[in-house]
This record gives sequence, structure tokens and C-alpha cells, in this order.
Amino acid sequence: MTRPDLTTTAAASREGPPVPGHWLTTARAVMAFQLSRLLTRPRLAMALIGALFPPAVMFAAIRTAPLDRNMAVVMIYALIPEALCVLGLLVTMCPVVADELERGTWIHVAIRPGGRRSLLLGTFAAAVLWTGGVAVTGLLLTLLIAQPTQPIGLAVMFLALIMLSCIGRAALFALPAVILPKRALIASVGVALVVEYLAGFLPAVVNQVTVSLRLRSLLVEWMDWRRELPVEMTLFVDTYSAGVQITAVIILVVVLLAAACFILNRRQFPPSAEN
Amino acid sequence: MSEPADTTAGAAVIEVEDLVKEYRGSDGSRVRAVDHLSLTVAAGEMVGLLGANGAGKTTTLRIIATLLKPTAGRASVCGCDSQADPVGVRRSLGYISASTGVPDRLTARELLTSFGRLNGLTETEVNSRVEWLIDTLALGAYADRPAGRLSSGQRQRISLARALVHEPPALVLDEPTNALDVVGSRNLLETLEQLRGSGHAMLLSTHRLHEIEHRCDRFVVIDAGRVVAAGTRSELVGAGRDLEDAFFRAVTGGASS
Repeated sequence: MTRPDLTTTAAASREGPPVPGHWLTTARAVMAFQLSRLLTRPRLAMALIGALFPPAVMFAAIRTAPLDRNMAVVMIYALIPEALCVLGLLVTMCPVVADELERGTWIHVAIRPGGRRSLLLGTFAAAVLWTGGVAVTGLLLTLLIAQPTQPIGLAVMFLALIMLSCIGRAALFALPAVILPKRALIASVGVALVVEYLAGFLPAVVNQVTVSLRLRSLLVEWMDWRRELPVEMTLFVDTYSAGVQITAVIILVVVLLAAACFILNRRQFPPSAEN
Repeated sequence: MSEPADTTAGAAVIEVEDLVKEYRGSDGSRVRAVDHLSLTVAAGEMVGLLGANGAGKTTTLRIIATLLKPTAGRASVCGCDSQADPVGVRRSLGYISASTGVPDRLTARELLTSFGRLNGLTETEVNSRVEWLIDTLALGAYADRPAGRLSSGQRQRISLARALVHEPPALVLDEPTNALDVVGSRNLLETLEQLRGSGHAMLLSTHRLHEIEHRCDRFVVIDAGRVVAAGTRSELVGAGRDLEDAFFRAVTGGASS
């Protein structure tokens, strides 16, 4: 077999290897890489089922009994920013990071300058985009079926809730993925149940660090339900303004991602971990 | 960041000095995988790292590649210390393992483009570099086919291209021919010889001694994490039959079969 001569590499024309790219550029490269890996028929079929699930439930509900606007809003909230986003992120965020950590691909990313951080942030962005896309599709279909009054206002509100749910939960699931890669999915389900749905409903300080409290509080605030809320329900929502709730989610995301990056950068990869 | 090291022929590119690595065993005891190991690889040199399973080859290579932290001692590539300047090491190093880690769904072109971007190359640089690698490593016939449909040898060539995408002066190869047949293995090793000719420093571990016996410039034989023999083929073989014989003598303390 004849092959071009390797003794005149392009390296000779450079002063040295390229400097590491900006973290945004490299994270974007990982994001594109992960999205292209998500574009498989099984994944697309799963996304389609996910997007059709909320409108199907809504269709069944309104066929059974007429729903008023508030009830429809509560159903959409429970189905999309809560159930669909959490389930979507469980299958796109933690298993993808864990796969990278546990399988052979990881070491090839980890030895690139800034590769570990890019792996986490790029996968985070891909998971948010993928799950967000599925959730928005599900939202539009559900609104078409529910046909509530002022649908544009509701759509805008739910878009914001979906975005916050996706970034908050993706950051939350990043931690078990880097701490317990071998049991990432189980650990993330545990985090979802214990942190989001148990601690999130405890009327104590611990619920302040959950995304579910922020989302519920935003829903109540934006739907202007605070005055109508029964006294016992006020224990499960926060009284601060929408701006404070959004800032709290963003701070939570930054802290969780920084912690995950820190752990990932310190992680070692012994030969026995590959098998 | 460290000053760029001299990578002209003969200058040490990979340096390992008094390296120690201990793991914690399941019973809490400390297991020493690498025990005061030292070696160097110069530019334009291919060094074979030989040892039985569990001798510490992969641990040593992974410390050099910044995937593991040493317990003591140091490893450096192009003058960049793996602890103090891991980014500098990663800029200068290409890494290949037996498990290629090439995703089934991506084509060689897509994979190389992704890794080019990950290394901070601009779009123009990525495109020209990917084309150059596809051309130079003869990947053209399958560059646009999903890697899942390729043979082990073809996947390993893609892995080599990925390791070279950022033009590193040093390569660390951990049993790169393990999953390859005779033809794939020979093609890969011939390519590595050509890379050596272009001034790359290469540290290569393998169990297939006959494949590298006449290709490597020097050999370092390790056992239980310690260097038990080192030198050129002729120095190691001496009056013996071949490298395998010399290896066996080194790891059994002279009790050759």
C-alpha cells in the first residue's frame, strides 16, 4: 500500500501545538458532538413519545371531564416542566456523562486541554437543548389540545419554566454523574426523588436549594394565585419575587456545575476503571 | 505555562523521573503499581515499554498522559510537568489505547472535526488538518462511513488520526495493536515508524514483542513497577535468541525457560 510521506508533517509549519480554545468554543464542540450522538432512531423515537405524552394525557383528561383554565395550567405544569423535563434529563444528562466517564471515549476527551470541563458543559448544553426541544414541542401540542384562554401568555410562562427546569435539573444530575458514574442513573433518580420531590416539599430551609420550590413559586407568582392559595398550600411556595426565584435557580446552576467541574478535574482514571 | 521544550532530534521529550504510584486496595492496604521508575524518550525515538500484565505499564502511561496523579516523582512532556502544567502536557501529547473509544455512530471526519475544535483549532485549521490526516493516514475510503461499520484496524487508524489532530510532538501508545490482525497491526506500526521519522517521540507498550522487536530504538522492561532492564535490542538480547527471550530473562531474574 502506498501512502503519503509522513516525514513532512504539517507540524513542521507550526511553532507548536495549538493553544487551548476558549471554553465556550470547546464546550460548543462537545455539544455538537453529543447532539450528533443523540440523533439516532431510538433516541428520536423516545423524544417523540416524550413530546406526545403530555398532549395525550391532556386529551384523555378533557375527554373525561371539562377542565377550567387553572386546572389545565396545573396539569401542564405537572406534566411538562416537572415530569417530562426530569425524565428527559435523566436519560440525556447523567447517562451520557457517565458513559463518557466509564467507557473508552472519556480518556480521549480528558487528555485534551480543558477537555474535562468542556465534556461536562457541552453535555449539559446538549441535554438542555434536547430535553428543552422535546418539552417545548410537548407544550405546543398540549396547548393546542387544551385550548386555554390567553394561550400566548401561558406559552411564554411555560417556556420560561421549561428553561429553568432544564438548566436546574441538568446541573443537579451532573453531580451524581461525576461522583458515582457507575451508578449514575440510579443516583440521579434518587436525587430527583429525595432532593426535588421530598426535600422540595418540606417546609424547612432545605427546600430553598431545590429547583422544584422555585418553579412552584414562579407558577404561583406568574398566575397571580398567591391571594387565592389556601393557607396550608403557602407552606410549599416561597414568598419572594419572580426575580429572586430566577436568580436563585441561576446561582444553584452555577454552584452545581462548578462543583461537578471541580470533582471531574480531580478525578483520576486508573486502568481498572475502564473495564 | 512552561517554556516550549526543545523537540529537535535527540532532545528528551518525555521524561519520567523516580515515579511512584500507589493505589488503595479494597482492604485499605496500599498497593504499589509503579516503584521509582525513570525513563526518557527523545524526539525521533520510539521506545517500547514492556512488562507482564499488572507490571505498571498502563499506570505509567496514564500518569504521563495526566489521567492519573503520581504518588511521588514526576513525569513531563516537552518540559511541562504533568502535575504543575497538565494543560501544557495535553497540548503536546497524543494518546492511543487498545480500546479505541471511537463512537459507532460518528464518521472519521465528524470525529476528527469534533476533536480538532476541542483542541482549539479554528474552522479553517480544522478543515485543512482533517483533510491532511485523512489523506496521510489513508482514511479516505471510509472517512464518511459510521465507525460502527469499520474493522478494528480501521478504527485504530481513526484513533491514531484523533491523537494527531493537534499535531503533538509526543505520542503515548498503550497496546495499540491489541485488537488488530496482522495486516492492521503492520499498517499501524509502519505509520508509527513514519511518524518517528518526522521527529515524534513515542512511548509504546505492547505484549506482542515480535511486532516491535526491530522497530523500537530502545526498550524498557518493567516488573512490579520497577525497571528491570533497559537498552537497545542488541544490548538486551546479547547472546540470547530474541527480545522475547531477553524479556523473559529480565522479568524472571535470569531464570530463562
